Amino acid sequence: MRLLLWLPGRLLGALVVLVGVSILIFAAVRSLPGGYADVILGSLSSPEARAALAEQYGLDKSIPEQYLLWVLSALRGDFGTSMVSQLPVTDEFASRLPLTLGLGVIAIALTVLIGIPLGVYTGTRSTGGRSSVLGRLVSSIGISVPEFVLASVIVFLFSRFALGLRVGNVVSPATDLAASIPTLILPGVVLAVFCIASTARTTRDAVLGVLVEPHVGAAVARGESKGFIIRHHVLRNASIPILTLVATLTAYLLGGAVIVETVFDVPGLGSYLVQALGRRDYAVIQSGVLLATVVFVVMSLLVDVLTGLIDPRVSVAKKGRWA
Amino acid sequence: MTGTVAPIPRATAAQAARRGLRRAATTLDPLATVAACVLLAMFAATILARLVGLGGSPTEIVGTRLAAPSLAFPLGTDSLGRSLVPRLLEGIGTTLLLSVIAVAITAVLASTAGIVAGYRGGRVNGTIMRVGDMLYAFPSIILAILVAAVVGPGQVAALASIVLVTVPLMTRLVAVSSRAVADRDFVAAAVISGVSTPRILVRHILRNVAGTIAVQGTYALSIAILVEGGLSFLGYGVQLPGSSLGLLIKEGTTYMVKAPWLIVAPGVVLVIAILCINVIGDSLRDRLEPRETRSLV
Repeated sequence: MRLLLWLPGRLLGALVVLVGVSILIFAAVRSLPGGYADVILGSLSSPEARAALAEQYGLDKSIPEQYLLWVLSALRGDFGTSMVSQLPVTDEFASRLPLTLGLGVIAIALTVLIGIPLGVYTGTRSTGGRSSVLGRLVSSIGISVPEFVLASVIVFLFSRFALGLRVGNVVSPATDLAASIPTLILPGVVLAVFCIASTARTTRDAVLGVLVEPHVGAAVARGESKGFIIRHHVLRNASIPILTLVATLTAYLLGGAVIVETVFDVPGLGSYLVQALGRRDYAVIQSGVLLATVVFVVMSLLVDVLTGLIDPRVSVAKKGRWA
Repeated sequence: MTGTVAPIPRATAAQAARRGLRRAATTLDPLATVAACVLLAMFAATILARLVGLGGSPTEIVGTRLAAPSLAFPLGTDSLGRSLVPRLLEGIGTTLLLSVIAVAITAVLASTAGIVAGYRGGRVNGTIMRVGDMLYAFPSIILAILVAAVVGPGQVAALASIVLVTVPLMTRLVAVSSRAVADRDFVAAAVISGVSTPRILVRHILRNVAGTIAVQGTYALSIAILVEGGLSFLGYGVQLPGSSLGLLIKEGTTYMVKAPWLIVAPGVVLVIAILCINVIGDSLRDRLEPRETRSLV
């Protein structure tokens, strides 16, 4: 098991990244201009009230002390208290997570079901000429339409004209799963457009890269059918970049559907984070951004392990000077 | 063996650069040539607007509020009665200029870090990669908003966010390319003949990874426009009374029901600009990082 030899180093690297990220987040949040006291107490509050507030949230301690307290309690699952709502941050996140999760599941499901087959189709039929130009153009348009443009247009069309689906009045999947899907499908599709297009492009490139390898030529010479060659020889070898991309997209969707949630008025984690930033809600910003980065780091760790299992050469290579 | 050897004539730097430009211009395929022309037209229009006032003044109130497109105002007027044409031209300029400057900074930072990381390997590479990983772990729009909140909303915030969002990926890809070049024999030959390290980095490594830098720089430009747009759309980027494509689209959404033309024009221009850049990027990649494309299947 070469994988086991390589894993500890990779885990250590992830840990280093997480520590660095947490310091970056903490420093950024503490250097935000405009104090929390102005936001909560108003700018005319007395110095005594400000001091009491600072003590209540542990903001009178030294900066390194505050950082250590935050990290240690976060490790125990305690992310502090929201200054705005006075509720534990964990509860605030828990009530919003199902919405963000629902959007992410819809977008990723569409990406895997449409993006990968589309990429394989264009990759195996790309012999130049008009169809390849058309394919390039379509997938390029998909990655070129910004979320905020598409989201605004969709909101306009569906709120102006009766098109069957309504915008707004989002139902959380946690309260009623069946009723939530029609309300989440539009923002989910908007999120999916970019993901589908980029996955199709990556899949096409990966498939093209494998198709020219000698072992595919050998399979053709053995008289294997095209479908069999694509499933067994091409897709398996093309799977690593596709897997990496889908994992990256998933991590970003879970932490950062900020624009789509804001435009569609979905009270999920992304729009909450933007609001918290406007209100200088330290505990919420810190923990929200930290969670998003933790999801990303864990995801890329998982991908590396899976990659090592799919293609053992990768884990061997990573042990060398490159680690 | 002491006979003199005639020096091999070497192309001057200027000649090489001219040759590179000519090659780049002639190797773009037809689709990418169209894309490049569209982008050049956008640049020309925004420069003309700034120099000779093409389209009129972007701040002057000239008509009724939210007037529909007409002969006098080809794209209609906004909520204050300003003509949209000059606002759009100014917005294109701001967006493109911000993105180009930001990507130039990214290219310098990422090329330097990537080439050093790829050439030295080992601990230097590990350190640079870990720092890149830290930035890469942030979802891009969250990183952008966080930067904008710390620096204060505005053009500097947009610039800084674009650089921080685009640097990690480019550094990593340049490092991978540099690594591959550093292992080749001509680099070993240069080391053995006593060429100084800076000279090796510039003359041997940089030249051979220039293709990667050009391709990734093009893609970074499209990401830059996306980030600027998203940031201005959320209110953290370019501020009024300035103008940028993201800001115009944000304004457009406010009056979308009454005046849909306000979002259509900047939206279409933004999509076309990003599309053109991506098409050029694809074309550059096909030419500069060629792959075997003949297959039996």
